[in-house]
Order: sequence, then C-alpha cells, then structure tokens
Amino acid sequence: MAVDKEELKAKVLAFATKKAASKSKMYIKDLYKADEAASPREVKNAANELVKEGKLEFFSSGSTVMYGVPGFGKTLEGAFEEK
Amino acid sequence: MSVKKHDTPMCDELKKGAWPSFVDDVEVCGLAGKQECLDVLGQLEMSYRHKETHWKHGGIVGVFGYGGGVIGRYSDVPEKFPSIAHFHTLRINQTSSKFYSSNYLRKICDIWDHRGSGMTNFHGSTGDMVLMGTKSDQLEPIFFDFTHQLNTDFGGSGSNLRTPACCIGQSRCEWSCLDTEAICYDLTQTYQDELHRPAFPYKFKFKVSGCPNDCVAAIARSDCSIIGTWKDNIRIDQAAVKAYIGGELKPNAGAHSGRNWGAFDIQKEVIDLCPTKCMWMECGELKIDNRECTRCMHCINVMPVALRPGIETGASILLGAKAPILDGAQISSLVIPFIAMEAPYDKFKDFVASLWDWWMEEGKNRERFGELMQRQSIQELLRRTGLKAIPQMVKEPRSNPYVFWREDEVEGGWKRDVAAFRKRHAA
Repeated sequence: MAVDKEELKAKVLAFATKKAASKSKMYIKDLYKADEAASPREVKNAANELVKEGKLEFFSSGSTVMYGVPGFGKTLEGAFEEK
Repeated sequence: MSVKKHDTPMCDELKKGAWPSFVDDVEVCGLAGKQECLDVLGQLEMSYRHKETHWKHGGIVGVFGYGGGVIGRYSDVPEKFPSIAHFHTLRINQTSSKFYSSNYLRKICDIWDHRGSGMTNFHGSTGDMVLMGTKSDQLEPIFFDFTHQLNTDFGGSGSNLRTPACCIGQSRCEWSCLDTEAICYDLTQTYQDELHRPAFPYKFKFKVSGCPNDCVAAIARSDCSIIGTWKDNIRIDQAAVKAYIGGELKPNAGAHSGRNWGAFDIQKEVIDLCPTKCMWMECGELKIDNRECTRCMHCINVMPVALRPGIETGASILLGAKAPILDGAQISSLVIPFIAMEAPYDKFKDFVASLWDWWMEEGKNRERFGELMQRQSIQELLRRTGLKAIPQMVKEPRSNPYVFWREDEVEGGWKRDVAAFRKRHAA
C-alpha cells in the first residue's frame, strides 16, 4: 500500500534528525528504517525531496553519496577546508 | 597573466619518452595563463616525492537538486598550491555514440577556459566528458551555461545510475542489431531521477552494444549489459566466400596487413577457430549449423562481405559486471538470451524495475549488483525477476548438495494434518 508522501517525509526527517546526533552521515539504506511499511523507492523519493527543500543534504564520501542533516557534523565544504 | 612554474624534475622526466606526455599538455595549458595547471604539476611532483597523494576526495556532490555529476576534490596542501585548493571534477553527459560537431566542442572549451582549469579528459573508462578542476563557486554558473547554451546535462556519479553509454550502433555500423543510440537516449530520459539523485546502494551502469563485438565493453563494465544479437541465421553470400578463398577480397577488411600472413586459409583462420565448431565446407560452399552458433562474431569479422548477422534482431541481456573493488572483477552473466528491443522498451524496463527493487531492498551499502547476485544466488535472481533458468546460467557443477524449496513451490505448502498423520504413524 502506498504510503502518504508528506507523512513519510516527516518520518524520514524525524528519523534522520534523531540519528544525526550520534551519526551525522547516513546511507539511504539507513533511512529505510524510518518507516518499515514504505518501499525503498518511496523512502528514496522522500529523502530526495527533503534535500530539495533544504531539510536534508547530500554528502559524498568520494564514491558513495550519503545523507546528512544540516547543522549536524561536517558540512559539505567544511569537511575539506583548511581552517 | 603571469604564472609561476614550480620546479618539477620528476614530472619533467615523463616528457622524455617516445609517447606524448600529459605533462607537456598540462604545462602548455599552464604557461598560457592557467596557474591551476602549473599547481597540479607542482602538487604531483610533491606526491612523487612523498609517495602519497595530496588530493582529498568527496564533499561536493552536485549543483542544487542534483546528487551527482560533480566529484569534489580538494588539495591537502592548499597553502603551497592555493589555485587548486578546490579542484572539482565535472561529469558531463556525453552525446549518444559520442558524435560532436567541432562548434559544440569549441563552446565547451570556451566555457571551461572561462570557468575552469581548461583541462579535460574525454571519454576514458567512463562514458562522460570529464572536465577537471574548478572551484565551488563556479559550479552553478557552469551548470547554467551547459544547460542553457549547450542543452547539455551533467552525468551521473556516486550511488546513482551512471550516464548510460552506447556504441555507434546503426548510425555507422553494418553489424549493429540494435538502434543503440535510441536505447541509450531513452534510458537516459526515463531514468533522469536515478541519474541525478542517489537511489541505490552503489553505482549502476547500463551499456549498450549493437553486436557481440561489444565495442563499449558492456560485458566487462556494466551492471546491465544490453548486447545486440540475432535469432535467425547468419546471412551467407557464397560468391563472396569464394572471393575470400580466391584472394579477391581481403580478410578482416584489410586489417592486420602490416606483414605478409600468406594466402587466406578459411579452414585455419575461420572454421578451426569457431568456438562451437559449427562451420564446415561442403561442395565448395560454407555451411553453418546456426543452432550451435554462440554469436562470437569471429567469422563475420574475418569475412564481412560474405557473412552478416541475421535479420531477426534484438538484444541479449547480461547482468553483474564490475571492476575489482570489493570482490574482484566480474564479467556479466547471461540472463536473457533474446529480447526484442522496440521502443518504448516496456518489457525491458519492467525487468529493470524488478532488479532495482531487489537490490534496493537487499543490497548492502557499496555492494554492486553483481555482488548481490553472487551473495544471494542466481536462484534468488530468478525468483525476484520471474525469469526462467537456462543452461547458460550454470557456471560450474553444483558444489552444494542442499536444495531449499520455497513453500509456494511445494504442493500443499508447509501445512499438514497432524491428526491424520498420527492415524497412520504411531508417535
């Protein structure tokens, strides 16, 4: 059964924010646990919409793309810039 | 513009060989006014001295809304080489079959000279155009210029679908059994979301070759290889076969003519080399047992005027090729011997959806599709995709004596009437 998109986005954001306190960068697979009833594709679409809205952000390890919550852990550029 | 050239004795050694050196090219670009290029050589010299890289990798993933297309790269010695403190790489979606006009290429170079280092890397092991070296604040303007001036998009990187690639196909190749460009373009358009935003445990590549010569190395490099083939018989022109035997036509279309190999010997150079031994001469005519042909293309390559692929064409689909990162290199496994590839390719796309559903659900982080197939078995692949087993899927005799049946494969399932059983069998 298709999951309500806005409801799923709220669940993904809440899950990611809670998790970000201990682990600031997450694989998409980690986010699947936000709602076990939703399909991986639905979670992926919800997470990507949250990125467009600026509530989540992408972070690249170099070969894999991860998700982060703005304000938690290193920022996109901050991880690499010399202070 | 004044630039500073670093002292690079080890890099300079590379200019002395017989072949053109990248050091020359980078230096020419640098001395023409690009400090970034000279700093790249300076940092490379330092890496040669220290025997370790001075690049950091990651961070930036794309322009707004994109989770791919940009590979973040930063110098870890920016105080020594400030012009390359940021030196991001861009992947640009290449045209199908990589056909360009010189006008288009000039515009790319103009944009890149203006907003980047001027260094490019065209079509190496990746299908994309690769533009090397720009700063974070230039990414959005470059994206705007590419999309608005050239109608060109960024390609895929990271855990995304990578930019689909194809050979020249029917546009120029008489052997092509597929319109590879149409398929490549359709897949690119259909899967825009997967191409630009991370969707998978790791990268996923489609490559489309028009015939089994496989000029884009789909069988070796792509998670899903689409390789043109034919269902009917190889077309034979017996008069042309005689012309090859008589020496009027040159084998291999005149290739390998740098030395004298002697007269063409059809038995030695074609028939004896057929991997399934399905060819023979009879009464001066070449015969082929097409049922045994494995589409190796050797005979067609040697005698292209005499032999041509059949006319009932489509594709073979193979899955799981990869380079050696985690579990070693792997070549694709044949899973669909023949599928008609006609637009809008619905049957193929349904099949792809079943692959991705399985991989997204069961794939481990950074696990390629081929590794999932290895870990969970071909049997599981068949179950998830609804394909039927074929002999080509059997790689070796079974080493595992156990067969596990699923409940839906057993008549009556796992349920049984214990009371009725006990009437027949004492406890």
